[in-house]
Amino acid sequence: MTTDAISTPTNQAPLSPEGRPPGRVFDQLFRIATFAAAIVVLVVMAGILLTTFNEARPWFQERGLASIFGTQWVPISDNAGNVVDPGLGAGALIWGTLYTSAIALVLAVPVSIGIALFVTEIAPGWLRRPVVFVIDLLAVVPSVVFGLFGVAVLVSPLGNDIYGPISDALAAIPLLGALFHGSSGRSYMTAGLVLAVMITPIITSITREVFATTPSALKEAALALGATRWEMIRGAVFPHARGGVVAAVMIGLGRAMGETIAVVLLVGGAANLGVGLFESGETMAAAIARSFNESTGVQRSALIGLGVVLFVMTLLINMGARWASGRSERRLRAGR
Amino acid sequence: MRWNAGRAKLLAVVMMTFGLIATACGSDDTVDLGSGATSAEASLSGTLKGSGASFPDKFYQAAIQAFGQAQPNLTITYEAKGSGGGQTDLQGQLVDFAGSDDPVKDEDFDKFAGEFLYFPTVAAPITVAYNLPGVSELKLSGATLGGIFGGSITTWNDAAIAADNPGVTLPETKVTIVHRSDSSGTTANFTKFLAAAGGRGWTLGSGKTIAWPNGSTGAEKNSGVANAIKAASGAIGYVDFADAKASGLTFAAIQNKEGEFVEPSLEATSLALAGAAVESNLLYNPVNANGKGVYPIAAPTWILVYKQQPDQKAVDNLKGWLEFLLTTGQESAETVDFAPLPERLLTKARAQLDDIVVTGASSTTTTVG
Amino acid sequence: MTVTSNLSLTPSIGRFPTRRGRLLRDRLATIAIVGSFIVVLIPLAAVIGYVLAKGASVVDWQFLTTSPIQNRPDQPDTAEVFGQVLKFGMQPAVIGTLVVTGLATLLAVPVGVFGGIYLNEYGGRGTLATVLRFFTDCMTGVPSVVMGLFVFTVIVLNTQERTGLAGAIALAFLMLPVVIRSTEEMLRLVPNDQREASLALGCRKAGTIMRIVLPAAAPGIVSGALLAVARAAGETAPLLFVIGITYRTNWNPFAGETTTLSVQTYMNAAQPYSTAVDRAWGAALTLIVIAFAATIVARIVTNRIQARAGK
Repeated sequence: MTTDAISTPTNQAPLSPEGRPPGRVFDQLFRIATFAAAIVVLVVMAGILLTTFNEARPWFQERGLASIFGTQWVPISDNAGNVVDPGLGAGALIWGTLYTSAIALVLAVPVSIGIALFVTEIAPGWLRRPVVFVIDLLAVVPSVVFGLFGVAVLVSPLGNDIYGPISDALAAIPLLGALFHGSSGRSYMTAGLVLAVMITPIITSITREVFATTPSALKEAALALGATRWEMIRGAVFPHARGGVVAAVMIGLGRAMGETIAVVLLVGGAANLGVGLFESGETMAAAIARSFNESTGVQRSALIGLGVVLFVMTLLINMGARWASGRSERRLRAGR
Repeated sequence: MRWNAGRAKLLAVVMMTFGLIATACGSDDTVDLGSGATSAEASLSGTLKGSGASFPDKFYQAAIQAFGQAQPNLTITYEAKGSGGGQTDLQGQLVDFAGSDDPVKDEDFDKFAGEFLYFPTVAAPITVAYNLPGVSELKLSGATLGGIFGGSITTWNDAAIAADNPGVTLPETKVTIVHRSDSSGTTANFTKFLAAAGGRGWTLGSGKTIAWPNGSTGAEKNSGVANAIKAASGAIGYVDFADAKASGLTFAAIQNKEGEFVEPSLEATSLALAGAAVESNLLYNPVNANGKGVYPIAAPTWILVYKQQPDQKAVDNLKGWLEFLLTTGQESAETVDFAPLPERLLTKARAQLDDIVVTGASSTTTTVG
Repeated sequence: MTVTSNLSLTPSIGRFPTRRGRLLRDRLATIAIVGSFIVVLIPLAAVIGYVLAKGASVVDWQFLTTSPIQNRPDQPDTAEVFGQVLKFGMQPAVIGTLVVTGLATLLAVPVGVFGGIYLNEYGGRGTLATVLRFFTDCMTGVPSVVMGLFVFTVIVLNTQERTGLAGAIALAFLMLPVVIRSTEEMLRLVPNDQREASLALGCRKAGTIMRIVLPAAAPGIVSGALLAVARAAGETAPLLFVIGITYRTNWNPFAGETTTLSVQTYMNAAQPYSTAVDRAWGAALTLIVIAFAATIVARIVTNRIQARAGK
C-alpha cells in the first residue's frame, strides 16, 4: 500500500488550489462519525437522567420526603377499606439494598483479596493465567443462573436445616440472637451469599491489578530486610494498594446494589427494616423487577423513582471509587 | 493455521450461522397428533391478547395450546392478573378479550369504550383448601366458614369446626386466613357464598376486594394463594379446583343447601349449573344452588369482548377463538379440571357469537333472548 | 522515586518477635490465601456442575428446536392437552436470544468502536475526551434494571409496543461503554511509530486509522466485543420490561413481542412446579453454553495476541 503513496505524493497535497482531493472528505466524515459515536454516551446518560426523573416526578410530588425516607412500602388499608398508610416509601428498600450489599461485601472482600494475593504473590507463573481464567468464568455466568441455582438448590436446605437451628441456638444471646434471627430460605443472608459470589470476580480483578503494580523494588527491599512473605505483603503491597482496594470494594458495592435477578428470586420480597439475617427482605432493584409490569399510576412512577434513587446511589459510589483510586495514584506519583 | 482478526470473525460467523440453520431446521409447531389430524383450514392469523381472571387460567392456557395446533398462525396470549385487572385492561383497550368471574358493576359501565358481551366459558368449584398436618378430611358448614373467614373462629379446635367434624381430632393450631390481595372474581364468588350461607359470622359483604380480618395473609392470583396455603401450617384459603389439585392441596367438603357435605368435584359443579337461571346477557349465578349432590361454591366465569371490533380480521379471530372454547373446549374441559357448560347455555352463547361485528356494520342477526 | 517511605515492616514484625512466631504467621497467611481460591472454586464448580447435570437431562434436539414454549408451567414438554399429545420446546427463546443479542451487537459494536477511536485518536487528553471518558465510566455503572426502565420510558411508552428491538437497544446501551473502553485500550497499545510512519508517508488520519491502527488492534477489539456479547446474552432485568412475552418463535425483532433464554429461565425458576424448574435448568444450560463459547473464543483470540507479542 505504501508504494502508491511514495510514487504519487502529490495526490495528498492539502494545499492544492484546484479543489480538495477526495481523501479529505472521507477524513472529515470519518472524524465526524467517530465524534458522533462518542457523543452517544452523553446523549444516553442525559436521556436516562431526564426521562427517569420526569417519570418519577408524580411519586416525589405525591409523597414528598416520605417517598425516599418513608419506611412503609406496601400501602395499608384498614378493615373499612380506608387507606391508613399510602405506602410507597423507599426507606425499607434502601435499607434492604444496603444490608444485602454489606453482607455480600463482608463475605466477598476477604476472599477476593486472598485470590488476588494468590495470583500475584503465591501462584507459580504457569498457574496464573488458568486461575485468572477460572475467576473470569465466574463473571460470565449470568445472574439468572445464579438465581436459579439459589432457588433450586440453596433455598430449601438453608431455610429448613441451617437457618432454623442457628437461630434457635443463638436466640438467647442479646445482640447475636437478633442478628441471626429467622428461618426463611429466601432471606437477606441467602441473597447476600449469592451476591458475594457474583461480585468476587470484579473485586478480584481490580485488586489483582493494583497488587501487580507494586514496585518490585519495594517488595525486594522488604524481603532483603528479612521479612517473611506475609510481612512483605503487609508491609509493601498493602500500603501501596490501599487506594486501589478501596476503589475495588466500592465498585463491588455498586455492583451488588444494582444486582436484580438473583436477588429478586432469593431475598423474599418482604419490605422491612429487619436485621435478622435469616428473615425475608427486599431491595430496590428487586422491588422494581417484581412489580413493574403490573404497576400503574403512582406505583409505576414510584418504581421508576426507585430506579432513579438506585442510579444516583451507584453513581456516587462509582465516583467515590474513582476518587479513591485517583487519590492513591496521585500520592504515589508525588512520591509521598 | 495462523489466527488473526479476520479468521476469528469468520469462525464466529460460521458458528452462528450453523447454529441458526440448525435451529431453523427444527420444525415449527411440531405436532404428534394422537387422533386424526384436524382438517379445518388454518385461516386465522394475527394476535389476540387477553388478560383477567386467574380462576380459568389453566383452562385457557390449555385451550390456547390446543387451538394453536388448528390455527398455528394465530398467536393468543392470556395473562392472568385477576378479574379486576382484566376489566381495567379491556376498558383501556389494551387487550382484545378479558376474563372475569364477576360481572361488571353498574358504575363501571361508562369506563368501557363501548358495549360489550359476556361469553360464559366454563365453571369450576372453588375449593376451600387448608394446610393442617394430620387432618386429611374436613367438613365445613356455611356458618363455620363464615366464622373462620370472618375472623371469629381463630383456632382449629374451635367448637364450631369440631361440631362439623365429629370424631376427628383437631389440633390447637392457630387459623391463618389466606385471601386474594388483587381484585379477584374468585373472591367475589366466594364471598357471595359466604354472604348467602355464612350466617351471623359473616359481616364483610361480598365483592372483588373486601376488608379481610387483621392478621390474614394476602397473595396474588389463585396460584399465589395456593402457594401461601402450602407454606403455612394452619392456613386455610379459597383456591380454584385446578390450582388446588396442581399444588397438591387438601380441600374440605362444604355443606350445601340440602344439608349434605359435598366434596368439590366437576359432577357436583355441573349439578349446580343445571338449575341456574340464565339472564339474557348470559350472566348466571350457580353459587349456593338448590338440589341434591350440588357443590355449593360453584363459580362461573366469562370472557368479555367488545361488540364492535375495528376490522373483520379481529372479528374472525375472536369468533374463531370463542367458538373453539364453546365447542372443542367444552369436550375437553374436564381433562383440565373444569366443568363444561350445560347445553342450553352453550346454544345461547354460540348464537351470541354473531353479535360481534365490525364497527359501523349493523348487527343483523336476531339475538336469542 | 523514594522507595522506603511506603515500606512499613516494623508493625508487622513487632508483635511476634520470635522467628517461629513470624514463620507461623506466614504459614497461616499462605493457607488463608490459598484457601480463598479454593473457597471460590466451590460455588463455581457447584453452579456449573448443577447446570450441566440438570440441564443435560432436559436439553435435547426437541428442546432446542421445537416451538411453541409450554405455557402451562405444571406440565412437561411432551404433554397431552384436549386429547392430543403435543411437543414443546425452547426454540422461541433460543431464536429470541440470538436475534436480540445479535441485533444489540450490530448496534453496539460499530458505535462503540468508533467511539473508542474518537477517544484515543482524536480526543487524546482534551477536556471533551476526559468528560466523555468520565461519562462512559458512569454508564458502565448504570444498573441494568435502570437501563431497562429508561428504554421502557423512551421506546415502549412512545411506540405502545414491546419488541425485540427495544430489548436490543437496552442491551446495546449496556454493551456500549464496555466496547468503547476496551477499544480505546486496544488502540492505545498500538505503537505510535506505526501511526507516524503512515502519516509521514502521506496517508491521512482516517486512512491511517482504518488501514494501520485498527487492523493492529482488531483482535483485541474483537475479544472485547465478544466479552460484551457474552454478558449481554445473559441479561434478564431490562428485557423483562421491554420485550413482552410470547410462546411462539418471532424472527422479526421490529414487530411483535419476543422472549429470550434468560427471561424464560427467570420465569420458570420462579414457578413452584418441578416441570417448570427443569425447563429453567435447560434454558440455563443453553444460555451458559452460548456465553461460555463467546468467552472462550475471546480468550483464545487474546492469547494469540499475547503469544504473538512475545509475552
